[in-house]
Amino acid sequence: MTTTVVYRSQRIAYAYFALALVLFALQIVVGLWVALQYVVTVPQHVVDVFPFSTARAIHTNLLVLWLLLGFMGATFYLVPEEAERELAWPRLAVVQLVALAATGVTAIVGFLFGWIQGRPLLEIPTALDFVVVAAALLFLANVGVTLWRARRWNAVQGTLVGGLVFLALMYLFGMPFYRNLAMDWYYWWWVIHLWVEGAWELVTAAMVAFMMIKLTGVDRRIVERWLYVELGLFLFTGLAGTGHHYYWLGAPRAWLWIGGAFSALEPLPILLMLWDTWRATKDGDGTLRPRLTWLYVGAMAVLHFVGAGLFGFAHTLPQINYYTHGSQVTTSHGHLSFFGAYVLLNLAFFYFAIPRLKGLPGARYDARLGYWGFWMTTLGVVGMSLAFAVAGVLQTYLERVRGEPYMVAQQPMRFWMLVVFLHGLVVLAGVVTIVTHLLTLKPERAGAVVPLPATPPAPAARTA
Amino acid sequence: MTDRLAKWIFWAGTLTSLAVFLAMTVQTHRSFGALTHADALDDHVVAGKRAFERHNCNDCHTILGFGAYYAPDLTRAYARVGEDAVRRRLEAPEVAFAASYRKMPQQHLRPQEIDDLVAFLRWVSNIENHDWPPQDSPNRWKASTDRLLASASMSPPAALVQQEGCLACHSLGGTGGTLAPRFEWIGGRRDAEFVARYLADPQAISPGSRMPAFGNLSEGQRLMIGEFLVSLAADRRAP
Repeated sequence: MTTTVVYRSQRIAYAYFALALVLFALQIVVGLWVALQYVVTVPQHVVDVFPFSTARAIHTNLLVLWLLLGFMGATFYLVPEEAERELAWPRLAVVQLVALAATGVTAIVGFLFGWIQGRPLLEIPTALDFVVVAAALLFLANVGVTLWRARRWNAVQGTLVGGLVFLALMYLFGMPFYRNLAMDWYYWWWVIHLWVEGAWELVTAAMVAFMMIKLTGVDRRIVERWLYVELGLFLFTGLAGTGHHYYWLGAPRAWLWIGGAFSALEPLPILLMLWDTWRATKDGDGTLRPRLTWLYVGAMAVLHFVGAGLFGFAHTLPQINYYTHGSQVTTSHGHLSFFGAYVLLNLAFFYFAIPRLKGLPGARYDARLGYWGFWMTTLGVVGMSLAFAVAGVLQTYLERVRGEPYMVAQQPMRFWMLVVFLHGLVVLAGVVTIVTHLLTLKPERAGAVVPLPATPPAPAARTA
Repeated sequence: MTDRLAKWIFWAGTLTSLAVFLAMTVQTHRSFGALTHADALDDHVVAGKRAFERHNCNDCHTILGFGAYYAPDLTRAYARVGEDAVRRRLEAPEVAFAASYRKMPQQHLRPQEIDDLVAFLRWVSNIENHDWPPQDSPNRWKASTDRLLASASMSPPAALVQQEGCLACHSLGGTGGTLAPRFEWIGGRRDAEFVARYLADPQAISPGSRMPAFGNLSEGQRLMIGEFLVSLAADRRAP
């Protein structure tokens, strides 16, 4: 088990993590305003200046930006250690961070003044798309050259690089202007679906495998073997599973069968990942510490399965999706799956990497504040998703099954959006706690719960 | 499990799914022309799509069920509320939604943009997407109204609706115009008294509406038409 960073260039990751965390908190603040607009009547003169659409664009773009910054930071942390050499161009990684941060700020200020491309989640104007592409190329070049010079290939690196290249390629499909709305949405999902149920799952699998190897000292060969099986299942279900978005956009009827069948299997690889995580914790050298880091790893495995697997399965079959499509049911699934899969993944990695980046003894830290942050955020998001689900079921029944007009169906949903908002307040408190805790991480107190000798450090041979 | 088997699972799973996905992509491209009526997709419609994106409509409304869930789905908006109502919402949302607890921003659209947006929404409303969304499905409207129409054709309010030529702009079941909202939709949102007041003086409630006033009808006749409209949605309302 390694408890410190070995290479200087790994330290760049910290800047990425810090910026990601600040944007995360900002995302929640904007999210609260988005939720509140379902509950209270916002006066016309406010709506004219700062409509719901602008706030929502900021909320979702901040999410994407901070998660990607987290992935990139994690990559810069992971690659030198796996390649056993410094990053090819450490300064370029800083330039890339500045470019992305500047793009983010420009985009958000631009949104406020109506400089927007108006396609959900891909709102940033084409000019800024090119900056993102340039930054992505710098990133891939930096990582690629480092690994190529090292000439030490393993499955974790391969998965990570494969996922990142896949991610960058898919972004290109969201850039052109499509004349036909149906074709626009067809390729929109190449970005969104193939990111979250394809490329990002590869990145996740690589990051989890890396943490498992470093934290538990389990045999790398076993981890990598299961990595292949998981990825095979993720891509088998995920690629053709894109079809569950193609039911109602003017595409051929065959998608109802293909999308339904493949996506019904999508929970399987996540279940395998859950089982794999559980097994690794049992087969490791038994030092599941610091416990808070493990709490994050465990919660990620469970909520990834519940949010993405179960909540996704609940409305993926066309017979059900006909009624739930485009309702708050989707919002419920969206919030819990993004949180369970990607927010907790990033936070788990931050809790794994930041103590090492700060050089805390034994990579241990004082976790007391962190527990508060974890439980407030997790329970807040779970409660919020359940409230969205109730609102979604109401909407599905009233608007889609009974045929009530939209605004008639929205009326009884307002109470549940208030419940969403109140949980959002808890989430905000939790996230501020997590951000504060991570950015001011302190060494474990002397005489803390478990004295170090009780869990002797693993032999160095395990990391080889 | 051996390393060989694990790698085999990876490649077999990935390539099978990729092959299905790419073959279906080709098939989808072949079908889009007919299913979306691409022959009607002219520059006017495309200009409307650009305006739709420029004003970020999709981050409040869904279209084809995609987007934000803050405002009604726009896939069949043109068929649901009619061209005149679409125009008035785009021109003066602050008037159209004055009584609503949720507002739409006044974006000061140019007349050309409004024409383009209307053309875009008209084109979208004809996309053949397996009859989604259910609430705007013409098949379901037909099923619920055909039964009513069978008896309503004899009723006094139905005769009034015929006589006054309401169906020149409004539609009911499978017939009527697309300038004004569907009767079933009005019946689901409004009560009979509201409809009666609206008939007496549309301008008082929706300034700029192109609907004529029906001052020629008596108070009782206007209320009767109102009750007829509400009855159209009755079998879908809570008792």
